[in-house]
Amino acid sequence: PDQLDDGWGGLSSVDVDSGSVSKAPFPPFFRGAVDDILPEEELPFERFKPPPEEETADSIRTIQAWAVDVPDPRSIGLMLKWLRRSDLDASELGHLKRVRKQNDTSTFLLSVSTSPSLSSEPPSLPADIPLPAPYLLPVPASAALTLTSLDLKNALWPTVYAPRRKGEVEPWTRGRARWAWGAMRAAVREAQQRGRDAGELPVAAYVPAPYQSDADADADLASDADDKGADAFMAHDTRRSAAHPLRHAVMNVIRQIADARARSGDVAEQPIHTSTPGDEEENDSDSVPPLNANGTNYLLTARTLFTTHEPCIMCSMALLHSRVKEVVYLLPMRATGGCGGGTCVPALPGVNHRFGICRWTGDAVLEAEAGLQVDASVDA
Amino acid sequence: MAANTGEHEKFMAEAMAMAEEALAAGEVPVGCIFVRENTIIAKARNRTNELRNATRHAELEAIDEIMADPALTPPGSSGYPLADTTLYVTVEPCIMCASALRQMGIKQVLYGCSNDRFGGCGGVIGINDRLAHPSHPPYEAIGGYSREDAILILRRFYVTENSNAPTPKSKVNRVLKTEILPP
Repeated sequence: PDQLDDGWGGLSSVDVDSGSVSKAPFPPFFRGAVDDILPEEELPFERFKPPPEEETADSIRTIQAWAVDVPDPRSIGLMLKWLRRSDLDASELGHLKRVRKQNDTSTFLLSVSTSPSLSSEPPSLPADIPLPAPYLLPVPASAALTLTSLDLKNALWPTVYAPRRKGEVEPWTRGRARWAWGAMRAAVREAQQRGRDAGELPVAAYVPAPYQSDADADADLASDADDKGADAFMAHDTRRSAAHPLRHAVMNVIRQIADARARSGDVAEQPIHTSTPGDEEENDSDSVPPLNANGTNYLLTARTLFTTHEPCIMCSMALLHSRVKEVVYLLPMRATGGCGGGTCVPALPGVNHRFGICRWTGDAVLEAEAGLQVDASVDA
Repeated sequence: MAANTGEHEKFMAEAMAMAEEALAAGEVPVGCIFVRENTIIAKARNRTNELRNATRHAELEAIDEIMADPALTPPGSSGYPLADTTLYVTVEPCIMCASALRQMGIKQVLYGCSNDRFGGCGGVIGINDRLAHPSHPPYEAIGGYSREDAILILRRFYVTENSNAPTPKSKVNRVLKTEILPP
């Protein structure tokens, strides 16, 4: 897969070629032990790999942070003690070293200022330590992923080195691949049927019951779309029948899940997050309050969404708002998609949730050509 | 039929009233109105908590209201239902709403304060006019209308104890800051 890394996870070089696809009813991962980990090259999808970033001085993303010089080395211990007790939340600075030593001066990082132009007040300092006035300086916005990036970031401020390791991508078992195969087939079938029989755009989105590696779940794997558990949700595009341009399959499935949760009443037990811990600190600053809290009710936490077409930007952001774990799609929408096509929403700077993106390359491709094509200008 | 500054202020005040309603209901205070020929055709506010759906932002609520009314969307009038409609919203539309508005063919968006975490009209990414789309025309989005009010109401929301947060933080020592510097 590495040689396919063209910045888009190799997606741009992948073409659906029905002639080369095996017509075998079951792909190879249906043979072998359920709990075996599948080698990456045998997975029925390709993972989206975000392009390498921050490898040049221009591309280093920075944030403004308040810092203070501590000229007297004897004050350092006191200062560290004070920092620990202070309520300066350092969660946004976790990727940076707290202290920088240059010559005889130590500089302490105090807090983030997200919008420097709006900030009038620096954080208050301990009264019992003689210190000069704090000042703002640009520091890297995230940890360094590569050594090149680390050098560039260290020049701004000492930064944590956190390279992506191979093991960081979640391993998939044969059982899970079979579950995904069934889910993608179900979505494809739904889209085909709605397109053929109801005159809708042939786009469907499916959130199956989460994969469970027990024997019961195994029995469900190869079964049909009809075998949907109570916790599975299927929706299709209804923009034509509803005469509403925004009735996309993904939006419809999110609404379906929200309505089902509200009906069943189990939301009462779910925390309704109107804020996340990371936001809190920013609220203390003078900046415009952050809006990551704009109605977050984590409907899709830990869930995988399967869809026949790469979701549009609206739908991709709706999935981000809903905290989906990963999105698996069959047909890329290179001009309009929000998962690597027009843009890649979860890879944008600032957004407070990332989700995995997988482009299906498994056997469902067999069915993909039967009635799933939509115009390249459509927002799926 | 360009509205003058006084009319913008009047309409933003209406959007702000919807944000106040959201705040009173315990929602993140964002409100909006849609205006066609100097007449308000829809008003809405954020309902994400009430509907248990993180996508029910004010803009999408109002769009559904408009689309549900055949009088507001005469069939065949235009390919785009909002081609002659202006949105006034207290906060820059998020990436989701910015894309939705472009798909609806909105004429223009006027907003209060920008959103550097989720903003889809320049805050994070310019879905409205900087990103190419094969069919939907770009639209103009201008911020700064009643900006201070928009910021203040958000601050008022965030200084209150949020018992819904996973681990509520004590905010007893929190003070509402009222000073706002220019952008």
